[in-house]
Amino acid sequence: MDKNYDVIVVGAGNAGLVAAATTAKNGLKTLLLEKHNLPGGSASSFVRGRFEFEPSLHELAGVGTSENPGPVYQIFKELGAEINWQYEFNTFRTVATGPDGYDVKLPAGIDAFCKEMERAVPGCEKQVRALFDLARKVEEAIAYITKMKGKPNPLVMITRHGDFMRVASHSVEQVMDALGLSEKARDILCTYWGYLGVPTDEVNAMHYLAMLNSYVKNGAAMPYKRSHELSMALEKVIRDNGGEVWYNSEVTRFIFGAEGQAIGVEAAGKELFAKEIISNIIPNNVFNRSDPARIPQRDLKLANARRFGISVATVYLGLDCTMEELGIKDYTVFVTSTGNARKQYEQRLSGSMYIVNCLNDVIPDCTPKGTCSMFFTMPLFGSDIPEDLKPEEYKKYKNNLARRYLEAYEKLSGMDIISHIEEISIATPVTFARYLGTPEGTIYGYINAGWDNMLARISSEKDDYTIPNLTFCGGHSARSIGYSSTYTSGKIAGDRVSRKLKGGI
Amino acid sequence: MSGSNIRSLSKFDFLKMIPKRNQIIEAAPAKELPPLQSYKANALAEALHPAVQYLVVSKVIERNADVKTYILAPDTEKGTKTLAYFSAGQYISISLTIGNAKLTRPYSLCSSPKESLSGKYAITVKRVEGGLATHFILDQWQVGTKVVASAPEGVFTYEPLRDAKHIIGLAGGCGITPFLSLAKAIADGDEEASLTLLYGSRTSKDILFKEEFDAIAAACPAFKRIDILSDEDAKGCERGFITAEIIKKYAPQNEDYSVFICGPQAMYDFADKEIAKLGIRRKFIRHEVFGEYRNPEKDKEYPKAKGSVFNLTVLMRGEEKRTACSAHDTLLNTMEHSGIAAPARCRSGICGWCHSRLVSGEVYIPKSVDGRRMADFDYGYVHPCCTFPLSDVTLEIFPEFHG
Repeated sequence: MDKNYDVIVVGAGNAGLVAAATTAKNGLKTLLLEKHNLPGGSASSFVRGRFEFEPSLHELAGVGTSENPGPVYQIFKELGAEINWQYEFNTFRTVATGPDGYDVKLPAGIDAFCKEMERAVPGCEKQVRALFDLARKVEEAIAYITKMKGKPNPLVMITRHGDFMRVASHSVEQVMDALGLSEKARDILCTYWGYLGVPTDEVNAMHYLAMLNSYVKNGAAMPYKRSHELSMALEKVIRDNGGEVWYNSEVTRFIFGAEGQAIGVEAAGKELFAKEIISNIIPNNVFNRSDPARIPQRDLKLANARRFGISVATVYLGLDCTMEELGIKDYTVFVTSTGNARKQYEQRLSGSMYIVNCLNDVIPDCTPKGTCSMFFTMPLFGSDIPEDLKPEEYKKYKNNLARRYLEAYEKLSGMDIISHIEEISIATPVTFARYLGTPEGTIYGYINAGWDNMLARISSEKDDYTIPNLTFCGGHSARSIGYSSTYTSGKIAGDRVSRKLKGGI
Repeated sequence: MSGSNIRSLSKFDFLKMIPKRNQIIEAAPAKELPPLQSYKANALAEALHPAVQYLVVSKVIERNADVKTYILAPDTEKGTKTLAYFSAGQYISISLTIGNAKLTRPYSLCSSPKESLSGKYAITVKRVEGGLATHFILDQWQVGTKVVASAPEGVFTYEPLRDAKHIIGLAGGCGITPFLSLAKAIADGDEEASLTLLYGSRTSKDILFKEEFDAIAAACPAFKRIDILSDEDAKGCERGFITAEIIKKYAPQNEDYSVFICGPQAMYDFADKEIAKLGIRRKFIRHEVFGEYRNPEKDKEYPKAKGSVFNLTVLMRGEEKRTACSAHDTLLNTMEHSGIAAPARCRSGICGWCHSRLVSGEVYIPKSVDGRRMADFDYGYVHPCCTFPLSDVTLEIFPEFHG
């Protein structure tokens, strides 16, 4: 039996699936190893009674349509993975309940979005348009940097892309302040902060603007059969191209060669070898399964300098009534007790921010006739779980958590939700720790702190991870978190390794 | 709002980004990284959902000639220090090696969740005629027997946000076991609900856990048991079957109640018709899983058989094993009897633990137990525990590996 591969990919999360599909498609003998019995990591689904729930995806940016394809659409298309995309053409409804509260629903499409912002906050349209203008400049600069293969001419940058440099080196709040946006307009525009897990006075403006722009420009999309459809479609590409996917096969050890290069892994009691290893699992877990002598000092320092990103608690509900009967009119509602992102973040344990979704608004038949489903999501760090919480108290803890948010939303919306619950499941960072095996159950890799922002990570890729023949991809790596970023990250890793093994560029 | 603009921010801050990042990294210690278990969320996940639990039989209680309760303790020699906490109504999946066969069997925990804290699980096993596993356990297990089990699994549990405060439990035969755990959990204050248990047996001699239930009822007003005997008139017992009238008689009059049902297939068929007469909302009716599906050929949808014995090829991480399989037996059963330790837990089509790839071949999957995800249908994934072959079949599976 031949246990030598060209490429072993560790972890079948979004990035691992795309990386393995890419290398397999490029003719490389590829093995994808996954500890769970399903692909996808968070991109999966689960069945309770007559409901099939989406565990993690809110809305996927960067899809677009066949006429106007976005990067995610391109990745799936190039790989030959077919997805039944369902589209959402509103960005969000955001409700701030405080004394200076608001209730605003914003459509996709930059023009429509700006006009609606003007209606919500009179006088802001010019600045909001200036913001999207900056987003366009960011796109142009990135296109230039990409064209220069990551080595732009500094003089061209300074003379032609100065605004990009400004945006890329300041926080969202700094940029919005500079544009003279009022507090209320800023708060509304910062509604998406939770998608990056870092409040807008810390998160990099380039990163946030790119995300906001992507949602506003093209709307969002979801697969018809939950994220399990995405993961299954990618898995099939791997197999169709001669690759193997092994489940229930956790990598317990990374194996190194005499020169310190990665040469293989141990999984399911077997030693498996490859010319290149791609890790979709977080560097902390790789290093803890490796000979410490093989870990470069810088990598270890970097891991120690970083904090784990945020996770979430999510309440999944299957309801025995329709969304019309409940009076639901939106796919996504952000509910906050204060518009300010920093306050929402700091007061997260007192319920200051949560997101309410109803998938039936986008996919009417995603549940059986006469029913609908909702999910409630709130930011929560693994380290937010009470230090003294015992296993026997966990069921009460998660039910109390769920009840608090459900009751708050019932009160706010006047909807009768709890009495219609036919199925319920409650996930917390403990759930993600269980299924993903990430430290603190993080779903966002390392925190996107100001100093460790996406652009700084991308610019430092050559210095950060230097173990030969080992490439990282996933939410913890340079491209940062979110479905579209992780798919892109997997594509970059797969392409890089393919080029290396097949020669060429 | 001033007339300020983006130019008020320095573009040269851009040039400081990487040096600043490098400075922060350089200043960090190069110390060893903490292990996963040092994080609260990971430690809790491991405590609640260990990949495997090594147990040892610490006591055997003979209930009658064909029913025994096994008290299980952590097998510290094999590295299991504590037992995972659970919700009343959950089961553990036991792995068995019987001759050449490698089986799993799910058994509801009939001990209370609290008892697991002092290292005690209990399961109760009833002899099944023609069954391999129950004979083996009842005849072979004794104090000191080592047992390999899964973490607690299953969703036949009380959910405070979903269920009514009052539960009417319908139990038949060995389906009583999860209710013993639930009654104890209610008595312990672990679950804030009340339970009226309607327990169907043939005769008073067949009533299991009578003393335990009586003791709980005496101490806990939130729990009540009514025995319903089909073949005997006995004092204080109802005679007959668990009908809509009986349920109505013992159910709360002017408030919602949840009906929890656990028992043999024949009982579900009967009880479902009776419950339908009560007009209870679907959300208030909870079934334990049905157990293994039998006699698929009796189903209306069953396709015309193209034979009854086929070849099964099983792919496992690059290895390959061939065996004969029968149209009347699930792919899971066939694999297990051929000595393949296929992953499995609920064995009822629902939990998805046996999720495996159908590489080729035609199969029959009864609709009523098809708990697959929608995309599984499109991509050829099946749950072998409720999949019957209709032709030669090639299946790819991934046996669990516990170093």
